[in-house]
Amino acid sequence: MTTDALSRPAAAAGAATRLLRLAGDRADVGAQLRATLDRLRRRWSAEDVDDWAEGALALVHANAGGRCLALFCRLTDMSRGAGAAGLAADACAAAELARGAGSKAAAAALEAAPAVAARLAPPDRARWWAALSRLACAAPDCAEPLVERSAMVLAAGGAHGFEDFVAAGLKAGGGDRGRLKAFFTLADPAARRLLERGAGQAGFHELERGLVLFGAALWGAPPRLAPLEGVGAAPAPQRVSLAGDLIRMPHVYRGVPADAAPGPYRAALAHAMAHRVFGGPRRPAGKLKPLQIALVGLIEDARVEALAMRRFPGLRALWAPWHVARPVAATNAALLMARLARALFDPDYQDPDGFVAKGRRLFADASGRLEDPTLARAIGGLLGNDIGQMRLRFDPRGYVVEPLYRDDNLGLWDFGDEPDAEAEEIEQAVDAARPRPEEGDDGRMADAPPREEAGRAREIEPDAAGQVVASYPEWDRAAGVERARWTTVRDAPAALGDRRALAAALEALPGFRQRIARLVRGARVGRAARLKRQPEGFDLDLDAAVEAGIALRVGEIPEGRIHRAAGRRVRDVATVALVDVSQSTRDRVGAATVLEIEKLAVAALGAAMDAIGDRFAVRAFASCGRDEVRLTRVKEFSGRMDAAAMARLAGLSSGLSTRLGAALRHAGAELAPLRSHRKLVLALTDGEPSDIDVADPLDLVEDARRAVLGLRRTGVDVFGVTLGEGCDARIFGRANTLPVRRIEELPARLSELYFRLARL
Amino acid sequence: MTEPSLAGGLSAYAIRDEPYYRAVGDEIDIFAAAYACRLPVMLKGPTGCGKTRFVEHMAWRLGRPLVTVAAHEDLTAADLAGRFLLAPEGTVWQDGPLTSAVRGGAICYLDEIVEARQDTTVVIHPLTDARRALPLEKRGELVPAHPDFQLTISYNPGDQSAVKDLKESTKQRFVAIEFDYPAPAVEAEVVAREADVSGEQARGLIEVGLRSRNLRGQGLAEGASTRMLIHAGKLLRAGAPADAAVRAAILLPITDEPDLREALGAAIAASLPAGLAAS
Repeated sequence: MTTDALSRPAAAAGAATRLLRLAGDRADVGAQLRATLDRLRRRWSAEDVDDWAEGALALVHANAGGRCLALFCRLTDMSRGAGAAGLAADACAAAELARGAGSKAAAAALEAAPAVAARLAPPDRARWWAALSRLACAAPDCAEPLVERSAMVLAAGGAHGFEDFVAAGLKAGGGDRGRLKAFFTLADPAARRLLERGAGQAGFHELERGLVLFGAALWGAPPRLAPLEGVGAAPAPQRVSLAGDLIRMPHVYRGVPADAAPGPYRAALAHAMAHRVFGGPRRPAGKLKPLQIALVGLIEDARVEALAMRRFPGLRALWAPWHVARPVAATNAALLMARLARALFDPDYQDPDGFVAKGRRLFADASGRLEDPTLARAIGGLLGNDIGQMRLRFDPRGYVVEPLYRDDNLGLWDFGDEPDAEAEEIEQAVDAARPRPEEGDDGRMADAPPREEAGRAREIEPDAAGQVVASYPEWDRAAGVERARWTTVRDAPAALGDRRALAAALEALPGFRQRIARLVRGARVGRAARLKRQPEGFDLDLDAAVEAGIALRVGEIPEGRIHRAAGRRVRDVATVALVDVSQSTRDRVGAATVLEIEKLAVAALGAAMDAIGDRFAVRAFASCGRDEVRLTRVKEFSGRMDAAAMARLAGLSSGLSTRLGAALRHAGAELAPLRSHRKLVLALTDGEPSDIDVADPLDLVEDARRAVLGLRRTGVDVFGVTLGEGCDARIFGRANTLPVRRIEELPARLSELYFRLARL
Repeated sequence: MTEPSLAGGLSAYAIRDEPYYRAVGDEIDIFAAAYACRLPVMLKGPTGCGKTRFVEHMAWRLGRPLVTVAAHEDLTAADLAGRFLLAPEGTVWQDGPLTSAVRGGAICYLDEIVEARQDTTVVIHPLTDARRALPLEKRGELVPAHPDFQLTISYNPGDQSAVKDLKESTKQRFVAIEFDYPAPAVEAEVVAREADVSGEQARGLIEVGLRSRNLRGQGLAEGASTRMLIHAGKLLRAGAPADAAVRAAILLPITDEPDLREALGAAIAASLPAGLAAS
């Protein structure tokens, strides 16, 4: 101990002193601590040394263990340029991590710290630590796996990306330990996708629709596309893969700027379609060597592209930018093959190499019989021998087809294993997630008598989770991005209730049904038209006026309706009523529960719309996490509001949570194909979105608000009939929020709605 | 009441120069045969595929004047048949276009008949069966059809909602001729002739048309019509660059959806040789 340290009063003894007192004699790290302190004292002032020691003390107090202290010493030795304050901050953060997730995680973090320090400046390093301790608080057992993968996550998006990744992971996991673990060990494809996406890059999900249209416009039939998943923790491949008639594409082409993103995807799709249209059947790989397989694939690529360019000459401009191989010294076979690929594609490309020239000559000689699918095998075989004699190294594991847009060519070969099992599996998954064409009201329930609520147990409970109908994005408020395919909507079977009781309750409200019917009937929701022969109006109807004049002259009684007016003639409106059946609709509002009010409102509205022939569908929704947004079809557009629909309406029961945004998007998707002048979504809800996997309800409020805005952009008017006290005008906007506290208020609110509709 | 002059009325409707029409099948023979028996004809097909041009050509070929009425949703029976007007000397009956054609022995062509009000289609019923007469209720007159009179209507089945379909009783009175966009080689010939562009340019425009017709039902209600391709060709002919002409005459009018427009634009670029796309 130095005299300097000893000269301070004991109460405020230097941190270094206290550190040595506490840990200086420890068998595991005592010696290392003393040695490090000695070295630091030679470099730093006493204050700096004390600052550093405070950090070490934090580790001791957090009971982080000897290994952490040793690693901290190692970190100190390795980062010579770092100041005492920065190192102390690292130690304090590690101590925090040790408290949350245990000393093993802290040790792993301290071990990774030198590499992180080399990559990140101190303020960004603090973000990394902060994100780790946030994760340690929320999911302690995930901290260590993520620390081990820090380099990968940081490489994808830097410190900000790391923070976003932790936030997204916690959101995606939604409190489920298994899912959290899968995400942070990168076993979850969604996690890998997130990393690959990087910041702000347009990937497959954003471009998919445009690609399908592009393919359909070119080739006549829409191609079947799916994203390519990586295997295990490996990043997903960067080359398209063809399986059956499914074209699987990378989530993102790394290194391609966001505004150029459609380019490689279109080039890749055009190439894949060239294989599909001009390629032959799969051929047995037999005893071909990997190099030969690669070469045959290369020639086949050139062949189908040449044929495709004959048909669509503009494809050359689409593919050309990706052929960037240059005649540099070839050190391995792959480089030379990239040059050959360019030589076969680009007639203007100059290459002095004899092998490339030979390939070119063979291909040119065969230009008369490009349709022959065995051509590639013949030329590829010849070239394979040449490359073998050149003794160039070929690494089959590291080989990647060049250029970027081409596919992995595995679809060309039959390797003798299970042929299309994988493709079928994928197809099934893809099919399951595709929205199904709408079904009519099935008669299944029409004949069955309504089941009694009390009494016997139900015989067979149908699968409550239901079949996947569609998936929708969701807005991530914290990250400020829309997460693609975040929610899954499932079809939940409808239970049957006592429709007579519902009808009786409706009748018990004096005049209610009639008032609603009158409102709906009087609603001005049709297309504007000029009405002729009106008793009053803004101008004369000339035909009628002339007729009236003639009638006067010939001594008849003239018709008085001689004006023209603007009005709405034909009713042309399609409505989806979304009924919130979450647990909170069990709450009482006055004498009835929210759900009871909703049922009465829908029953009255449905009867009124049914009577005048408006198109009208009813969906009930509740959710159990983002993977299970359950939608019950109470009434279809095509069906009537008959006894079966009433029974299904009466059978709705409260339970689960409210994921309003997903339900709204689905309602919008159901309205989209309808040709209608006005489209309307009426959401009946208690106005408080929430779900089990979302900690901050504001997230879902914001998501629902964005869903409403999105629908409005497509011309769908969204109104929220909010029941209960805590209704929130943020989601639907003040003017489109119709608070109803008692069922008797509904007609008044409804008249406001129709008044607004007529003015819009 | 005075009788409006009939003789001079229809001379304006005579077609003197041969309208260009490229036959793609037996439609000319069928129409001529139907005219010989004075059977009413219905032309079915998508917009801009040459229905109106065909009628003009047939009227020229048969040497009959052609009275064309484009139906719209406010078109009433009186607009077709005629009405009384007030004149200084009293009321005057004015024949509508259909009545003029019936009296004068013209071919009356009702374009997009389903757009008109329902009462309009009923007016033509007596003209399309053995009666061949047009009753004018207001005048108390039954106008017998001139021996040369014939009625032709056009009808685009894909265009209308279910509400606006022809009534079964109307449909079954007509001989129908189906039209569609011609085969690529024929369509190229038509575009080259009508827009006065080179064969190569016309073939390029046909490629554009095929790309957009592939998207029928994928977001587009209809692909680019022959008329649209001819418009693009005319812009080309007037010196517009090819990509600008395609954009102005086809891409922008055909859809308002940016995704669709971009994908279609990319597909069009991919299917045209670099020279044509950039010239």
